[in-house]
Amino acid sequence: MSLGGIALATDFALLIVAAAVLSYAARLTGQPTIVAYILTGVVVGPIGLGIVGEDQLIEILSELGLGFLLFLLGIEMRFDDIREIMRPVGVIAVGQAVLQAIASTAVALALGFTLFQSLMLALATTFGATPIIVKVLGDKGDLKTLYGKADVGILIFQDIYLVLALAILTVGTVDDTAEIATSIGRVLILMVAIGLVAYAASKYVLPSLLRASAANKSTLFTVGIAWAFVFIFAAEALELSVELGAFIAGLSLAQLPYSTELKERMRPATNFFIAVFFASIALQMERGQLLAYWQEALLACAALLVINFGIVFGLFYSQRFDMETSFLGTISMLQVSEFSVVLGALAVNEGFVEEGILGFLSLMALVTMPISTYYVRYNREIFDRVEPFLSRFEREDTIEADPVEYEDHAVIVGYNRFTAELATLLEDAVEDVVIVEDGAEYVEELAEGDHEFIFGNARHGEIRQEANVAEADVLVSVATRDDVNRRLVEETPETISIVRTTTEASAQRLRDHGADYVVETAGLVGTELAELLATFDDREAFDQRLAELSERARSETLRANESVDPASTSRDDGRDRTRHRDEERDRRNDENGGETDV
Amino acid sequence: MTMTDLITSLAIVFIAAGLFLLIANQLSLSPVPFYLLAGFVIGAGELVAQDQLIELAQWGIAFLVFTFGYRFDFSSVQAVLRDAETAAGTQLIVVGPIAFVVATLFGFGTENAVYFAIAATLSSTIVGSEVLEQEIRNNLVHGRLASSVHFFDDLLAIGLIVILSADQYTTTLVTSQIGFAVLLLLASMLVYRHGFPLLVRLAGDSDELVMMGSISILIAFLAGAELAGLSAVVGAFAAGIAIRSDDVSSLGVRNGIASIRDFFVAIFFVTLGSLVTIPSFDVFVIGATLTALVLFVNPLVMTLAFVFEGYDVRTAFLSSSSLNQVSELSLVIAIEALLLGAISETLFEGIILAAAATMILTSVARRYEEPVYRSIVERVVAGRQTRKIDDRSDVSEGLTDHIVVVGYGRQGRRLVETCERRDIDYVVIENDPVLWDDIQTECRNYVFGDALSVYPWEKAAVEDASLVVSTVDHSLVSEAVLDIDTDADVILRAGTSAEARDLLDDGATYVSVPNVLAGDQLDDVVDTIEADEGDADAVRQQHLEMFETLERYGFASRNERI
Repeated sequence: MSLGGIALATDFALLIVAAAVLSYAARLTGQPTIVAYILTGVVVGPIGLGIVGEDQLIEILSELGLGFLLFLLGIEMRFDDIREIMRPVGVIAVGQAVLQAIASTAVALALGFTLFQSLMLALATTFGATPIIVKVLGDKGDLKTLYGKADVGILIFQDIYLVLALAILTVGTVDDTAEIATSIGRVLILMVAIGLVAYAASKYVLPSLLRASAANKSTLFTVGIAWAFVFIFAAEALELSVELGAFIAGLSLAQLPYSTELKERMRPATNFFIAVFFASIALQMERGQLLAYWQEALLACAALLVINFGIVFGLFYSQRFDMETSFLGTISMLQVSEFSVVLGALAVNEGFVEEGILGFLSLMALVTMPISTYYVRYNREIFDRVEPFLSRFEREDTIEADPVEYEDHAVIVGYNRFTAELATLLEDAVEDVVIVEDGAEYVEELAEGDHEFIFGNARHGEIRQEANVAEADVLVSVATRDDVNRRLVEETPETISIVRTTTEASAQRLRDHGADYVVETAGLVGTELAELLATFDDREAFDQRLAELSERARSETLRANESVDPASTSRDDGRDRTRHRDEERDRRNDENGGETDV
Repeated sequence: MTMTDLITSLAIVFIAAGLFLLIANQLSLSPVPFYLLAGFVIGAGELVAQDQLIELAQWGIAFLVFTFGYRFDFSSVQAVLRDAETAAGTQLIVVGPIAFVVATLFGFGTENAVYFAIAATLSSTIVGSEVLEQEIRNNLVHGRLASSVHFFDDLLAIGLIVILSADQYTTTLVTSQIGFAVLLLLASMLVYRHGFPLLVRLAGDSDELVMMGSISILIAFLAGAELAGLSAVVGAFAAGIAIRSDDVSSLGVRNGIASIRDFFVAIFFVTLGSLVTIPSFDVFVIGATLTALVLFVNPLVMTLAFVFEGYDVRTAFLSSSSLNQVSELSLVIAIEALLLGAISETLFEGIILAAAATMILTSVARRYEEPVYRSIVERVVAGRQTRKIDDRSDVSEGLTDHIVVVGYGRQGRRLVETCERRDIDYVVIENDPVLWDDIQTECRNYVFGDALSVYPWEKAAVEDASLVVSTVDHSLVSEAVLDIDTDADVILRAGTSAEARDLLDDGATYVSVPNVLAGDQLDDVVDTIEADEGDADAVRQQHLEMFETLERYGFASRNERI
């Protein structure tokens, strides 16, 4: 064991810095960051400068990145969201796999590859690039749209197909049909078994497990990762793909209310690791190898884009998707995936094809992935251009799926007795009342309650987005953190925003940031007491006022018997059982205007 | 070892960590010691090869210190100088040497003894601030004191790391280390002033870019530190300072870095735990001695120092009893020393054991600190306290029908002002030395003492008072007020209506609950808005007026001063 440097001239450090520099360059020239990440590997890897090789840390983080990405993808899948489109998506996925394989084989044969090579290429080029599609659609906020859900559905079918393809390749000799059949059968059985375990877990184990860990957000994060690793570990041990294990782990969490906060805790780490993943793609590629069939590769790219568009679009259309969904859903899927490179590498290892084929696949991936980010990103703009030509084919009876988005609603951040009362009060005035709360103790109550409920902390942008805070009619926040309140207020210029805070200094800040109404709790006590004392000379009036207050306080506490006040459950011997425990730590430095007391 | 094995190792690390954290959560204890425990189990079972995890663990250290750096608040330095300079210094010159001598008695050489002393002296911010969460939030004096000392300890730890990462302790080498560290900090200030804001501006509204940029800054500073032969910790700290930002837009970036940190920090602590083999008798004895030093000697010395500095005994006792755990930065120092080969394995393992033990025991101990205080400490110091309170109080003779105001915070001030205006007699009871000057100049009658003890109440002539108002939201204070033998009406403050109910049942005349008041007010506001179909302007106007009134009385400006 030695003290190796972790930053000075290590591959990982160089890769990250290069990726950061390039992504800033990309930003300044208006390019998507993924392109910058992929280019990073090309520039600093063996193809370009050759200063970064693939080291262990890069490998492990990129592998984890992919695993976590699938885990997140799993968490985001709510069965209710995709159930209605399950069948058409299945048809598209299977049809696409078959038709595209035929088309790819034909193209490869036409380019002069042998039949065996062509079949191999067809096998490898069928997939859409999951990381690209999920990332770009996620950044656009389109994963929940109809076409986003359809694409994700297709990608899942492709994942199963990928696992099968991997299973076939690892058998080694392709001649023995019986062996292939057993191998595929084994994979399928194991997948079903893992799926069943995950399903049982989400019914019986996970609810209590997550309830126990949700009180502390770091615990929730670690337990979430641990859960992913249980499945990754199982998949690994059973020789299935890590990604599939992670996906199923995520899926088992998706149906539970805790998943929203967990997702937001995981997302930044995943984004970082996936950046490492993208940057590492080109690190395994050698220049000579990459360029062995460069002309063929470029031709194949062009041919595949055109042919695949026809196939996938036709399939979408045939499944009664409307024109826009079909178009958007199709162009997202047009690229050669990094899985092609994985499969190609495996095929080379097993001695099925020579290295040049791997170079061919890699080049296709390297060319199509960055290009595709553009047309995925600007898919709506492209559709607007072509719509006039397509609209005449629009049919009547298309599939409908409502995007889930709140409108004309009120958002309440933080649940306690008062906001609960407010929710009832607001019910009639707005369409929906959305409550955002991250206290584990209320989850069941809120999930079963009358109002919409998002489990999570409003500090996360995605949570605010999910509640559609920016377009709410009314925002009421009793969040403890000032910066969260400020952020909320900033994002809601048009909304009537009411926030609670503790000190006058922060109340002032909040109003500067655009809060319409600030309730400043400590000040209220002062006002109340000062008013009371003002009557002190007149003993009778004072006693009467005090009696009134006292009377009210007692009736108040009667109401509080059915209390949902956050702190009331957690005050035993002054030990707060922890709402916002970790946030308090963050907050330590940012408040200095509180009470100074005995 | 291949990559898949590393994935397996990580899987084991996280699954074990997850299981232990569930226990920690169940018992409401800090996660850190449970990471270490998870590590012990993994290490004992020889389930993972640690050398593979060490690199990831080092990133854990880097991120841990990095986040400490970006929360660094320059005004905290002032707070330490104001509140706790004697205590912090005493800790350094008394506890350190005691521990050093103890270590020498164990037969350790100078270098090891220094590490032992460090582990005995520094206390943990992560664990301590969790234990004291409530007190810090309510800004009680002892919460504030403890976090000042934690802050000082963290800074001290980083300073020590600068010196200890020198290969040899010659004056030139150590000086050059310090020189490099200062250069690094200067560079970080430069980035903080000019570089990072530029980075944020160029990133537009993309949190992802700012995060990549921030991590690159971290890497650059780590590389700089390595180049200068400094510990990565120093680089990480400087990098953290470089990306400090109070801007709200940094919220997303902070979330992001916290998420990455949590991942690596879990690996760090678990790996650390796994480095402990089944403890030999020696390790056990060293660990136990260190635990005893940290749990008993350190708080004792700190209590004396706080009292010397002018705090009342209870505050001193409560502050120092939350400083009795080994710091996570001591663990960082220990593992760096282990990697440099500068610390003996036995001592290293002893320190880790003691860290896990003290981090758990500190939470447990807090449940008993009140009885311990009453049965032991109070008796020892009773007489001297009375004299001190007499010296520092000023109450006119023969007060009757007056008001006793507990706490001279913002609400306390308002009450005093009302009394002054109305010419009502009052006595203020307050124990925060920071407010000492204000109280002397602004209050007619005051008792400078702890409302939890009996004597300050006698001094305030509570038996003749007609009203007692406590502005302190702390259940112990409220109970103490109710225990006082007086016919006066008692007005208290509580955080929740449930607590208020208990206090009312126990004899309070009235209990003011900010949340209840806020709730009533919110209800009114929403009613107004509903009735008026979204006339936010009217609401805003009304609110502004209220604020102007408040400001006319000068309350906002008063508040700034504290």
